[in-house]
Amino acid sequence: MKRILFMVLAVALAGGAAFAQGITLEQNKPEIDAMLKAYAAVWSKAGNVPLTIKSVGGSSGIDLGTQLKADYAAGDMPDIFAISGITDYQQWSGIILDLSGEKWVTDTSVPFKVGGKVYGFPVAVEGWGLAYNADILKKAGVNPKTLDNLPAYRAAFAKIDRQKAALGLKSVVSMAASIDMSWVTRDHDLNALLSNGLPYGDMSVTNDLLAGKVDARRLAQYADWVELMFKYADPAVLTTGNYDAQVGAFASQQAAFLHQGNWVDPNMAQANATFPMAFAPYGSLDKATDGIFVAAPSFYVINKDSRNVRAAKKFLNDLVYTDAGNTYMVKDAGMIPAYKNIKLSPSGQLSRSVQAWAAAGKIYSWNQYSFTQEFREKTLASIYNQFATGAVTKAQFIDLMTKAFQSLAK
Amino acid sequence: MKRRVQHGGIFWLFLSPVLLAFILVIVVPFFLGAWYSFTNWSATARAGETLHLIGLANYAKILTDASFTYSFLITVIYTLLNMIAINVISFGLAMLVTRSLKGRNVYRAGFFIPNLIGGLILGYVWQFIFDNAIPSLGTLLGIASWADPAHLMLAHASTALVAMVIVGTWQYAGYIMVIYVAALETIPQELIEASNIDGATPWRRLRSILIPLTRQAFTVTMFLTLVNSFKQFDVNVSLTAGGPSVIFAGQPIYGTQLLAMDIYNQGLKSDDMAGGQARAVVFFLVLVIVSVIQVALNKRKEVEL
Repeated sequence: MKRILFMVLAVALAGGAAFAQGITLEQNKPEIDAMLKAYAAVWSKAGNVPLTIKSVGGSSGIDLGTQLKADYAAGDMPDIFAISGITDYQQWSGIILDLSGEKWVTDTSVPFKVGGKVYGFPVAVEGWGLAYNADILKKAGVNPKTLDNLPAYRAAFAKIDRQKAALGLKSVVSMAASIDMSWVTRDHDLNALLSNGLPYGDMSVTNDLLAGKVDARRLAQYADWVELMFKYADPAVLTTGNYDAQVGAFASQQAAFLHQGNWVDPNMAQANATFPMAFAPYGSLDKATDGIFVAAPSFYVINKDSRNVRAAKKFLNDLVYTDAGNTYMVKDAGMIPAYKNIKLSPSGQLSRSVQAWAAAGKIYSWNQYSFTQEFREKTLASIYNQFATGAVTKAQFIDLMTKAFQSLAK
Repeated sequence: MKRRVQHGGIFWLFLSPVLLAFILVIVVPFFLGAWYSFTNWSATARAGETLHLIGLANYAKILTDASFTYSFLITVIYTLLNMIAINVISFGLAMLVTRSLKGRNVYRAGFFIPNLIGGLILGYVWQFIFDNAIPSLGTLLGIASWADPAHLMLAHASTALVAMVIVGTWQYAGYIMVIYVAALETIPQELIEASNIDGATPWRRLRSILIPLTRQAFTVTMFLTLVNSFKQFDVNVSLTAGGPSVIFAGQPIYGTQLLAMDIYNQGLKSDDMAGGQARAVVFFLVLVIVSVIQVALNKRKEVEL
């Protein structure tokens, strides 16, 4: 136990010392940590209270949900913190403030609502799917626009795989499925089963699975898709690679596709990856699905026990209605704003691609956070990992997934 | 034995800082934790949920949980492997650096240094070695099995456990070595000389002189390695994060999740702090029983000069 406490303490210290009358924001995007801290310093200087930023995330060992529970047990809950959806909301429903009356509510179409009341401030619009390297696809003779179904992907992957040596590739797709990287499989890839090809916001498949009802045909097609991703991935990256290994393989042009979201834009800039890239349609079904998964996946909520609710509310409004706030969100942090009044656009290629898909209305929702952290991180993560390491066959994978969902029926 | 000093007030005054810290950070949390294990404590703030006693339900749940059983088994395996590896290697190192070796102080310091690096960092460093350095070396030297991604140590649960033993040994052997060095240096030189004159082989000397006369050190080192291996957490989190997974009793679960990490994940990932506490209580009892037996057994074999 001593070590656990020490680790928690180390994380808390890394976030900076707390100010007595100031406020604290705890968020889950380590990639924007530096930009947010810089903005917090500017915001505090402009006649506001001191604002402390703590960032936790990037690995399943220590994530924000875990950190918040430790903070809550220690009586040190932050004033503003991020949640990812309904299961997170339920965990903290006793202390989350109703924000329905805030000004920004009128300027966004994606606030976090429960029972008609607004509780969460959308941090950004994000999207993920299969990012492709346009140069490599052109050389290989694959048109990304045609990749809107499973047979097309199968043919394209086989075609690129045959030309791997000529194209200088190590693998066709950069995919990760270790336990530490399981958010790529049990969260993002899982969502293909939940929402691909359905109207935006359609929860029918998700609700069926939550009730233990499994559509065997849809699951079988999905298993084909997962098999395809794993088969054409670099086994070293797939089974043991971390985030840097997975994203780095794409940035260094060793993989034609990357199974990640637009949040890798800053990583691409750091790696000087300037080749043209965009998101291909997410064709995980036999039928055509011309779209990618786009949503506002995380929300800032205000702790109603905070000693300075006014400052916390002002911070959220300032993000949307001040030039400094807008510049931080869009230009510095490179996020796609979730607010109509903000006219700025991020410069990252993948973020622009997400915006283009969203503007065309070709988007599918994010439903994975309807399942509990325990179910996703313990059960689903283990099943995907078994399939990735080759310990189980596709038939066993389907069987394990079916049993896992059936166990949810109670 | 000296006569007991009768200055009660001063005695307690000097003891009070330590005692206070001990009570605050060990005694109170211990009993508080034990009490929480009988409640429904979740460490979240669900509307309408209150803390109340639920009796032995958390303990009953442990018995039916495949993940706990599995963690228990591999923790025992890990502890045994680790105890053997650490003690054999550190005793060997201690013999090496107590000989009249050139620059032996440098070696002593060098072997001890890994112990000064935090376990989390160590785990990430070794993750890089296992995932990147060894395959690169394999390609460079033309050793096909090292370069083959199918043979990555961290890609399979059984070899990942061995990888954890390697890192655990690397981290801890230097520390245990120091204890053995101290013990070896107390052995009277004339005994060694006498054995030389009698024509004893090095093996004979090891069995009949060195090991019997360092038994007291063995009691301490066995205890330290047992307890530390059993409580392993930070290297576990950073090196393997509990993966890769295995199927145990028909259920997909984490394949290298030792007990301490199982407790942590039950408390923080499954929203079940009380359940995690119940596991911690079981963990504590097992550790106390095992280490008391171990110390008693080792004590019996100690010899007085």
